[in-house]
Amino acid sequence: MSGEANGLIVDLKAAIERDYVGDVGVPADAELLAFTNAVELDQGDIDATRAALADVIGGQATLEAAAIIAIFNGLVRVADGTGIQLDQGVFTASIEERDLLGINEFAGAANSTDVVAVDANVKAVHELFG
Amino acid sequence: MTGEQRLAVWREVRDSSSNELDQQRRQALSPNAVDGAHAATGDLSASAMEVVHRTASDPGRLTRAWADEHISELGEETYTELVGVTSIVSVLDRFDRAMGRPEQPLPQPTGGEPARVRPDDVGDIGAWVSQTTGPTKANVSRTLSLVPVTNQAWRQLVDTHYSHGAEFMNLRWEFPLSRPQAELVATRSTALNECFY
Repeated sequence: MSGEANGLIVDLKAAIERDYVGDVGVPADAELLAFTNAVELDQGDIDATRAALADVIGGQATLEAAAIIAIFNGLVRVADGTGIQLDQGVFTASIEERDLLGINEFAGAANSTDVVAVDANVKAVHELFG
Repeated sequence: MTGEQRLAVWREVRDSSSNELDQQRRQALSPNAVDGAHAATGDLSASAMEVVHRTASDPGRLTRAWADEHISELGEETYTELVGVTSIVSVLDRFDRAMGRPEQPLPQPTGGEPARVRPDDVGDIGAWVSQTTGPTKANVSRTLSLVPVTNQAWRQLVDTHYSHGAEFMNLRWEFPLSRPQAELVATRSTALNECFY
């Protein structure tokens, strides 16, 4: 959604491909993915990938990237630990993407098996943290 | 939970990254295929230890049956608080790690009794634990709503690290890290953690 709003064509499949580090259609994508993988997977040196990212986007933006990596480590835990279901609107809007990207294979998909698709305007990410 | 118990959770979260049982479970085809269990400590029961270690080390493969067993043992409020504190301290430690900072020393616990406040407006919305039933918030925004004190700390952390208050509605925000860049990092992090939500 934010890609479209910013005039970008983002390769979502590459973005979630575990070991892929390269072009996905977002400025500084390779550096962002390398840093994220280093922090999350010990795949590469954290200090080196952070420095490489800072060279491209600056220190403040790099700090913000670190903050987002960190918060999503919490978000996945509160979501999976409390067994929340996918919201109906997001469920409906993401049917094709979840199938295409293999997200339905994640164990947490079992929590949303009784969510049904609805014919409604999707608000999706805008309201997730409201 | 008391302050001492919450700090005990933090210690166990830190231990989970190198804990042998946690590592064996993570590497197994199913975590249930590995024999063994975490023993109770002076601050945390065996069930609480399991909740903290599994939530910290392998959140993507938690199941309803597993959660129901521990909710039955602990009560849904304590279960939710354990998940919440585990998540909060995971964020704090991961941020330090990402920035190349040393692990922060744990604070001293303060005294006092747990708040034991259960909101009136919580109920079954399809999650494993009761949550706010109001129609306006997305499920991820009410995960910890059963335990208001922990929820408040959690929501503040989310706002500071990511959502930036009302700016979250702006898909072209003007922070140093652009919105597409922020979403790319978020997408990769959730994928690596195999989070369906």
